[in-house]
Amino acid sequence: METPLHIAFDKGTLILQHVPKALQPHLAELRWDERTLTYRAPAYRYRQIVSHLLAHNIPYQDNARQFTIEPFVLQKTLPPYPYQTEAIDAWHANGKRGVMSLPTGAGKTFIAVMLIADMQRPTLVHVPTIALMHQWYTVLREYFGTEVGLYGGGYHELASLTVTTYQSAVMHAPYYGNRFGLAIFDECHHLPGQQYQYAAISSIAPFRLGLTATPERTDGGETRLYSLVGECCYEAKVQELSGKTLSPYRVVTIAIEMEDTERVRYEEARCTYLDFLKKAHINMGAGRGWQTFLWKSSQTAEGREAFKAYLTQKQLSFASTTKQEWVWKLIQRHRGDRILIFTQDNTTAYQLGGRFFLPVLTHQTKLKERNAFLENFRDGTYAILVTSKVLNEGVDVPEANVAIIVSGSGSVREHVQRLGRILRKREGKQAVLYELISKQTGEHFVNKRRRQHHAYESSDSVSH
Amino acid sequence: MLTKALIRYHIENGHIVPQFVEPTDAALLAIAEQLIAVFENSPGKPRTAVLEESKQIIDAASGIMVVKRGLEKLLLDRTEFDTAPNEELIAFREKLFTETSRLLAGEPFQDYAAYRRRVEEIARLESAPTGPEELSAKLYADLPSCQPVVAFKTLSPERLLHRYNCAQVQGLLLHCNTLTLRLADSMTAELRQLFKYLRFNQLLSTIQKEARLESTPTGALTENLYKITVDGPLNLFYKTKRYGMNLANFFVAVLHQQQWELTAELQLRNQPSYRLRLDDSCGIKPISQQFLAYIPEDIQLFQTMLHSKTDDWRITPGSHFFPLAGDFYCFPDYALVHKSGVEVAIELFHPWHQAHLIARLNTLAEQPSTKNLILGVSAELSKKPMIAEALEASAYFSALGFTFRSVPTMGALLPILESLIH
Repeated sequence: METPLHIAFDKGTLILQHVPKALQPHLAELRWDERTLTYRAPAYRYRQIVSHLLAHNIPYQDNARQFTIEPFVLQKTLPPYPYQTEAIDAWHANGKRGVMSLPTGAGKTFIAVMLIADMQRPTLVHVPTIALMHQWYTVLREYFGTEVGLYGGGYHELASLTVTTYQSAVMHAPYYGNRFGLAIFDECHHLPGQQYQYAAISSIAPFRLGLTATPERTDGGETRLYSLVGECCYEAKVQELSGKTLSPYRVVTIAIEMEDTERVRYEEARCTYLDFLKKAHINMGAGRGWQTFLWKSSQTAEGREAFKAYLTQKQLSFASTTKQEWVWKLIQRHRGDRILIFTQDNTTAYQLGGRFFLPVLTHQTKLKERNAFLENFRDGTYAILVTSKVLNEGVDVPEANVAIIVSGSGSVREHVQRLGRILRKREGKQAVLYELISKQTGEHFVNKRRRQHHAYESSDSVSH
Repeated sequence: MLTKALIRYHIENGHIVPQFVEPTDAALLAIAEQLIAVFENSPGKPRTAVLEESKQIIDAASGIMVVKRGLEKLLLDRTEFDTAPNEELIAFREKLFTETSRLLAGEPFQDYAAYRRRVEEIARLESAPTGPEELSAKLYADLPSCQPVVAFKTLSPERLLHRYNCAQVQGLLLHCNTLTLRLADSMTAELRQLFKYLRFNQLLSTIQKEARLESTPTGALTENLYKITVDGPLNLFYKTKRYGMNLANFFVAVLHQQQWELTAELQLRNQPSYRLRLDDSCGIKPISQQFLAYIPEDIQLFQTMLHSKTDDWRITPGSHFFPLAGDFYCFPDYALVHKSGVEVAIELFHPWHQAHLIARLNTLAEQPSTKNLILGVSAELSKKPMIAEALEASAYFSALGFTFRSVPTMGALLPILESLIH
C-alpha cells in the first residue's frame, strides 16, 4: 500500500513527505528543500493545502495541527450593535478570515470575543504593545472566566486563549505556531512590517481576524496584510458611527505665536540646521535623507552643532512657552473633564508633567504604576494624564472626553488614533480635540498633512 | 551589538567592506582605556552622569566620532542598571497627583503661580523639596536616565577593540539573508561547537566538499574545503532577514575556527544588495569564553560512561565531516575509534531536529552502503507520529539506531558498536 502524504510543522514551516508527483504543482508554495530532503511550505499555507487534499479526496496524515475544539463558554453576554452583527456575519461569509476596519471605540474587542466564542478554537491574540496585552488579558478573563496565557513582556505562559506581542510572536511562533486554530491580529496595520509578518507566516491557524481603524499603509503594505489575514471584509467610518455608537466630537486647531526670544532662538537654530543641510547636500525629503543627516552630522564638529540646532528648533516648536501657557488655559477651561494630553516625545511629556504636577504615562512607566495611573484616571481620582505615544493605540480610556495634542508626527493614523481615544460613547458626552500648532514652523505643514483624513473634515481653526 | 548608525563600512564594486579599527592603534587603545575607566568607576552613579563623563572623553579625544560612540555603546551593553521600581517615589507621586487633580477640578486659579504655590504647600506636608525647580526634578527622579549603575563587566582595551570589530560584522549580518562558510576539516572541538551553535540558533545548513587548487612555490597544491551554506527554514520561500539575529550570533562561533572564509548577501534598507566577504585574515580575535579549548561537559559524561563499560572504544578528540549521498556531508556529534582501528560516528537528534532527522533517514535510505554512522534519537522526538512512522519504516535505523532520554546510554549503544566489529 502506498504511504499516505504526511504533513508536519517545523519551525514556522510545514514539511511534507510522500507527496505524489502529480499533486506537487497544486499545493500552495510547495518547494523541495535540498537542506532537509523534504518538501516544505510556509506554515500559513496549511489551510490551502489541507483544503486541496480534502477537496480531491487525497488521503493524508496530519501531524502538524496540534489543536482541537475548545469549549469556550461566555460568562457574560451583551447584545451586539447592528453593525457588530454585520461585521461578524461578513467575516463568516468571507470564509472565516479577513480584516475589519472600524474606528476606535466601535467595540472591536467585543467582536473578537464573540468570534472566539463562535469558533471554539484555541486562539492567539497578537497586539503591538505590552499595555494592550494586559488589556486583552483582562477582557478575555472577564468574558470567558478561564485561564489566559501571556507571551511577551517577560511572560512565557501558553494557554488555549493566549495574548502575545507581535515582537514575541515573531520569535516564538516557530515553536507554537501549530497550536492555535484562530489567530487575531489587533491593530493589524502593524502586521505587514518587515519582521512582524513572520508572526502570521509561521502560524498554521486556518481562521484569521485582523482588527484596525486604518488598514492603509503609506508603503502599500495592506496588500500583504490581506494575503496573510484575508481581505477587508467589513468597514465603518468614524462619521457613520459618530453620535450613534461614538460620541459626537469637535476638532479645534489653535495656531500659536512663539514668544519673541524663543522665535529668535528658533530662527537661529533652524538657520544653522538648514545651512548644514545645504552645505552637505542633504535632501531630507529623499528616501534616506534622515539617515544621511544622522551620519554626516556625526562626522564633524559643525555637523554636531547642526544636529543640536535641529533638536533645539524641534523642541521649541513642540513645547514653546506659549504652548505651555495654552495647556494651562485649556486645563482651567475644562475643569471637571477628563483630559488626555499627547506629546510627540517623552521629553516634552515629562516637561509638562513636571511643570503642572501631572501623571505622565510613557513606555518608561513601570507596569504596576501604569495600571494604577489608568485605574485612577478611569475612576476619576486623576482628571488628567499626559502621554507621548503609549495611549495612541487601543488602550481603553472611555472616560476621556478632551484631548490636547501638544505635538505629534505628521502621521494621519496617529491623529485618528488619538482622536479615537476620546470617542468612546458615554451619555451626554461631547468630545473635543485641541491641536496646538506653532505658527511659522514645520508644524504648520505637518498639521496640513494630517488634516487630509475624513475624520478632520469638520474642524474649527483659531489663531493666536 | 552596534546599532545601524554606529556601523562603519564602505561599498566597493558591489561589496560591503566593514571599516575595522586597528586593535594595536595606541591612540584608540588610550581612548578605550579611558572609557573603560569611566565605566569601571560607574557603580552607584546615575546613567546621565556616566554618559556625561564618557561624552567628555569622546568630545576631547581626537579620532572618528562614530568609532568612539561605538566603543561607548559596547561598554553600555556590559553595564547593569538598577531598574527596580522606587516604591517611595511612586507612593509620593500617587499622593501628589491625587491632590493636584482635586485642585485642578475645583475653583479656577488666578494664574499658574497661584496653583504652583498650592502644590508646594502640599509637598511641604509630605516633607518633599519645595524649591521652584526641585519639586519638578524630584517628581520623576526614577526615570532610566537617573537609574544608578549596579555592575559593569570589565575587559581590556585590546579586547574591547576586537569586540568592536566583531560587532561591526554582527551589525551587518543582521541584514543578511544567507551566509556561506568555507572551512577546512580541522577535526577540532571548536568545529563541533560551531555546529552546536548552528543548531542552537535554529539554523539549517548544507555541507558540500570543495577542492581548491593553490599555487605554491613548490608547485600546485589541492586543498579540501567544506562549503557550508547557513540560513533558516523560511529562506526557501523568502529572501528574508528573519534569521539575521541568529546569523549574527552564530558569527561568534566562526571566529573560533582556525581557517575560515565567509560570504554573505546583505540587504540594507532602501539599498541594493551587497556582498560581504571576510576570512580569518581579518584579525578579529574570538570574543566568547566558552569556546576556549576544553572538553565539553556532555563529551566528558559520555567518555566516563563509555570507559566504565568498555576499554575497546575511545572518543577521538574532535569529530569530522562525514560523507553522505552525492556531494553532501554531515557533522556528527561524536567520533569513536575501536582498538582495531574501526571508526564510527554518532549523530544525535533532539526534539527540535525533526526536519534534520527526516532528511538523514531519507539520505541513508538511498545510501545502503553506509555502515558507520549511528543515529541516536531523543525519546521525545521518536514519539512524534511522523517520526515514529519514519523510524519504524527505516531499515537503517533498526540496524544502527537507538533512542535516548537525556544522554545516550551504553546499554543502547554498545550492542550496535559490537555489531559493527563482528
